[in-house]
Amino acid sequence: MPELPPDDPIKSRSYANWILIAVFVLLLCVTWSFYAEFIGLRPWRSYQRRFASSYSVYLQKQLRARRAAEKTVYSSPDYQKLSTTLRQAEAVAKPQDAAIQQQIALIDQQRAAVLPAFQEDRSLVGSLIYDYEIVPSTASYRSEKQSKLKEMQEAKAKTYTVDWPEADGKTVEKKLNYDQLNDTFNQLLDQKAQLTAKEGDTDKPVKDAQDAMAKYAGDKLPGLNSAQLQGLLNTVQSMDVSLIQINVNPPGHEINDVGGVGLTDRCQSCHVGMDPKYIPTSLTLTKTDLGLQKSKDAPFTSHPDTQLLQWHPLDKFGCSPCHGGNGRALDSVETAHGRYEHWLWPLYYPENYDAGCQQCHSADAWTEHAPVLSEAKILFRERGCIGCHNYAGFDPQGQQLQDTVREIASLEKEKADDNQTIPQLNKAGDQAPDNATAQKLYAQATDLTVNVSKIDARVEQLDELSHSLQQEVKRIAPDLKEVRMKLNPNWIPYWLGHTWQFDPSTKMPQFRLEPDEVQAISAFIWQQGLKGPALEKQPGGDAANGKAMFDSLGCLACHSIGEGTQKIGGDIAANLSRVGEKADYDYIVRWIHNPRVRTEPYCPYEHKDIGPADYAKHNLPYVFDVEHSKCPNDGHELVVEQATIMPDFRLSWQEARDIASYLMTQKDSSAHYDQASFINDTNLYAKGKTLVEHYGCAGCHEISGLEDAARIGTELTTEGSKPIGRFDYALLYTKAQEGILPDGKKDPRGSWYDLKGFFDQKLANPEVFDEGRYKPNPMDRLHMPKPNIDREQINALASFLLGSTESTLPPSYQYAPTDQRKYIQQGWWIVTKYNCIGCHQIDIGQKTVLMGLPMYQADNSINLPPVLTSEGARVNPEWLKRFLANPSLSTTDEDRNGVRSYLKVRMPTFFLSDDEIRKLVLFFGALSSQQEPFIPQKLAPLTDQERLVARAIFTSPAAPCLKCHATGNAAHDKNATAPNFLLAGERLRSPWTVRWITEPATIIPGTAMPSGLFVRRDARWVFNGPLPAAAQQYKGDEADLLVRYLLQLTPQEQAMLSGRTPSAPKSGSSRAKK
Amino acid sequence: MFGDWHQLWVIISTPDNIPIVAMLLFVPFFTWLAFHNALANDRLIAQLEGDPQLARTHHRTTYPYNSRWERELHTNPFLMRKELLAALIITIILMVWALTLNAPLEEPANASVTMNPAKAPWYFLGLQEMLEYFDPWIAGVIVPTLIIVGLMAIPFIDANPLGNGYYTYKQRRHAIWTFLIGFEAIWLVLVSIGTFIRGPGFMWYWPTQTWDPDRVEFNVNRNLDQIFGVNGHWLAHILPAAWKPEAVIIARGLFGIIPMVVYGIVAALFIHWICMRTDYSRKIYRKMSLVQTVTMYIFLITMLFLPVTIFLRLVFRIKYVWETPWFSI
Repeated sequence: MPELPPDDPIKSRSYANWILIAVFVLLLCVTWSFYAEFIGLRPWRSYQRRFASSYSVYLQKQLRARRAAEKTVYSSPDYQKLSTTLRQAEAVAKPQDAAIQQQIALIDQQRAAVLPAFQEDRSLVGSLIYDYEIVPSTASYRSEKQSKLKEMQEAKAKTYTVDWPEADGKTVEKKLNYDQLNDTFNQLLDQKAQLTAKEGDTDKPVKDAQDAMAKYAGDKLPGLNSAQLQGLLNTVQSMDVSLIQINVNPPGHEINDVGGVGLTDRCQSCHVGMDPKYIPTSLTLTKTDLGLQKSKDAPFTSHPDTQLLQWHPLDKFGCSPCHGGNGRALDSVETAHGRYEHWLWPLYYPENYDAGCQQCHSADAWTEHAPVLSEAKILFRERGCIGCHNYAGFDPQGQQLQDTVREIASLEKEKADDNQTIPQLNKAGDQAPDNATAQKLYAQATDLTVNVSKIDARVEQLDELSHSLQQEVKRIAPDLKEVRMKLNPNWIPYWLGHTWQFDPSTKMPQFRLEPDEVQAISAFIWQQGLKGPALEKQPGGDAANGKAMFDSLGCLACHSIGEGTQKIGGDIAANLSRVGEKADYDYIVRWIHNPRVRTEPYCPYEHKDIGPADYAKHNLPYVFDVEHSKCPNDGHELVVEQATIMPDFRLSWQEARDIASYLMTQKDSSAHYDQASFINDTNLYAKGKTLVEHYGCAGCHEISGLEDAARIGTELTTEGSKPIGRFDYALLYTKAQEGILPDGKKDPRGSWYDLKGFFDQKLANPEVFDEGRYKPNPMDRLHMPKPNIDREQINALASFLLGSTESTLPPSYQYAPTDQRKYIQQGWWIVTKYNCIGCHQIDIGQKTVLMGLPMYQADNSINLPPVLTSEGARVNPEWLKRFLANPSLSTTDEDRNGVRSYLKVRMPTFFLSDDEIRKLVLFFGALSSQQEPFIPQKLAPLTDQERLVARAIFTSPAAPCLKCHATGNAAHDKNATAPNFLLAGERLRSPWTVRWITEPATIIPGTAMPSGLFVRRDARWVFNGPLPAAAQQYKGDEADLLVRYLLQLTPQEQAMLSGRTPSAPKSGSSRAKK
Repeated sequence: MFGDWHQLWVIISTPDNIPIVAMLLFVPFFTWLAFHNALANDRLIAQLEGDPQLARTHHRTTYPYNSRWERELHTNPFLMRKELLAALIITIILMVWALTLNAPLEEPANASVTMNPAKAPWYFLGLQEMLEYFDPWIAGVIVPTLIIVGLMAIPFIDANPLGNGYYTYKQRRHAIWTFLIGFEAIWLVLVSIGTFIRGPGFMWYWPTQTWDPDRVEFNVNRNLDQIFGVNGHWLAHILPAAWKPEAVIIARGLFGIIPMVVYGIVAALFIHWICMRTDYSRKIYRKMSLVQTVTMYIFLITMLFLPVTIFLRLVFRIKYVWETPWFSI
């Protein structure tokens, strides 16, 4: 047994050191917790302090510079001169002012002296007059009346003693009666008014001099002045470091209302520079300004787009609703920006900033200040995404049309049933055993008859609706029913397999097809095409003229031509560089002449193409167009037009042949296509059909038998709200989390396991998500083809999808205007759909396709189509309606522009539905903030004298109007570059026209219309040129006069002035109609 | 794919799992400490039993005995100061924990998205793990009830008057082993499996195996009766016509009783064998009433059934031993 210790270990052992250490560590922990509480978990405190200190330094520097600058300016000779002028003016004005002041003071004293007596007398006389008046004027009261009158006259005659102050300071005693008092008092008031006016006149030079000084200082020293800067500095230095939070909730909700739908935004707690209290909107602060250019962590700069902030006030919206991120979080940059695995909507990267707009602006087709988003929405339709993917708001007409057709079908079924039941009921009624039963059955039959007529009424209504819907539904890809007339059969399989080799800029995506699939699809498409009637044979045309027309008509706003760097034109329609290899000449002639023409109409109710035989059965002529759109078999609406947005250029057959001849020369002569012997192999038909359905070809193309095919893709309306786990990363799951891109490179931004990463990769190449998967059957692979879009377009579409969220904001934040802006919102859908912006500038700053073409550079920009930024203010909406329906403004001479006949580029006929025209007219009106409804202004007819003056101006050499403006005379119009005045009367609005002839450059910068024709003088416009003496007498507004003259111009008047007779409308060349 | 150490680190370092990781360290340590003290006491007990004179004077549970040490000590300060130190250290640990690890909050709840793997809080992971082996009625209702009733029954069953207020192994061998098997070997292992082994799809992932939400696993679990090919054909001959369509179900139900009875007997014999091993345990056993004995046997047999089932499932892929229309075991 070992030696035992002498002392009891429990008793003798000391724990002092342990407890000391523990207490010490505990104290450390307490300190640590205080640090965490006040600094560690609240980084915004130090951000705010840093902002205050560096911004104070900046402001002090600015203040010093500003004071120095102010000193320089104030001591400059110019300023001194102005200041001397001021002093001199003051010196002149001062004694005069003093004298006037003295006089006014005297008048005030005199008035004060008179006032008590005047008031007393006036009230006395007033009461006596009343007493006199109430005594009746009858004879019995005559004496009383007399005495009252006397009493009143005595009072009037009574004099009052007034201590009247004189100019020299003495006081004179004046005795004044009632009338004198009255006069004196009124005189005093008049005198004072005169003196005050005089004082104003005397002071005017002083005021002018002061204004001149202020203007001079303002011009030399823009921006905030030293007093304002000092004020800012004081605000910043006394800044209270505190949490800044915004309640993005419907009114009445507390900020911490967890159950509410909204959110709390605390971003400004660190991003202090957003507050206009510290950085006024007129100041743009950068990191360099703050001396923090090297810092990676200085969130103090102000918002670069102050206009956006004006529309979206910070105290209502905060930051995170637009920018993404976790607006509530404050404890670190990562959590606040939402860049961690548990926040689904991280802060958008710069290339996706516009995503934030979509949440509330989903109903827009074009969002101002969001070019990327607007571009994405055009792409989404134009690149055919919409062919497979539903998206709320896109193609609502297609959906509506399907519903309509379905409803008609069910109503027809009901009607047929009823019609069958009615005679049965009647028959049963005839054979009924008793009267009551018979009555009941007859009544039932009557009910059904009424029901049938109700159905007829409803069907009629639906047919009317579908008539306009049929015109509005457009497909982005060609009609494949006409494939046998249009295409070279050997070309089809090549195209399917080598889509982008043939046309690198096509909007058709590249499908991943095996050779046997290509054959099957080609065979199916070919065999499914309409087999007749054969096209009319067309003689050859003049290719040179065709090229000239192709280049100048405006084809290039949608189509492109040339390959690689040679490529010019728009992307909304096909590149025509190799169209000669694939297309049939006769078909192209017909297409150019009128792209609406269908070979056979299609009946959506019977699900079949209607041929001449169907018409013949009902003894009807084989005629179908918008006016003849009823099915001969069932009377419902047919599809009578090609669902293309390609407009009709109203060309003559010869012109169409010329252009087609030119297009047929567009080919790569070395190209060779293998004989597609399989194309008529009926064994491939079934497989081809399966594939066409599988890949959703009918989403974009019209294909026989698949007209009603549904979209095969996922609906994308709320794709941005989809939880990340629902995206199929396939074998890239781990790689995405580790930040390794499909090509094996490292993603510089780290993990791409988020929505942005998925959209980016999926749009760039959907195939990567199939990589490594075991899919022996090609049809098991992902359906999505590779879209033909570049990096920027991928970013745009990814932004669009990222923004496509179920809104986390209160519904009141949605942009759904009910005023005129609603028309703008609706109008943009049509404007983008028909690519109006390919030719016309509609939004300020928007670029058109034509603007970029080589033939419209420099001076040639005068040949561009008109700028429409103020179209609504310019034209009469009634006229615009007519113009949009028929831009030639003529039923006989259609081969021309209605307004600008001198332009080579032509406004084509778009065959808009009535509803679309209505929306466009409202759109232009709203865009120019025009009142609605439109009430035409009455123009006063001109007097003879006015007409004289107006003619003088109109023919003045200083304003040779007819030099540029067309007159309708062919010889004269050769050089015309502006519209005919004869159109102005019904076309233009007079207020706009006045602005236009006075200041055209402010409406359309760079216009050929000269500015300075009129000058502003004495609040009226005066012609800026020599006028005959007789005309100089005119004292009215001359611009207004000229507009009244122009808007009421008659052809005779114009002919007289231009010394020629107006030319009759050109005959001939009117388009042959089908 | 093995060798994914990053995955292992992610699992271990998740704030949610910190208590379990700590448990893995603390439980063995305190088990060791308890045994250390218990064995020291056992030696003292042996010394005192060998020396009745000493036993009369000795009152402290300190070994070895020293005559100069006082027989009794005041609570304050000799116990209080130790407790103070412990309180300080625990406070420090809790503060550091609170300061360094944030609450494991995740994304805003979305009713249409469940997390994968979806796991219960760590203290319920054992129950969740049991759901893998039993039908919900058994794992979610019966077993938890039995556990609680069993814990409540312990004072009633315990016929051993010794071992209160001091560590001892010799005097409470059965109680200690029941605890070690029931709590540490079964319950804590289930919790650990739930934490570290179960990944996406609640599938079995060995440590350092990558958790892949797209993993596809093949396994077929069969009931014991399926292995034996019980189809009820022969039973159909005996049964009345009305019952014939249910012959299979009845046959299965009847068949399942056999292994259950066999297990019950084997387990009871095993427990009985343990109870009869030493003189001491025989003495205690004799002191117990029939009700006490039966209660104890039932609970112990049930407790041991858990590892047996897990073993059958994981190794032989046997789903249920006894399947009836009402419950399955």
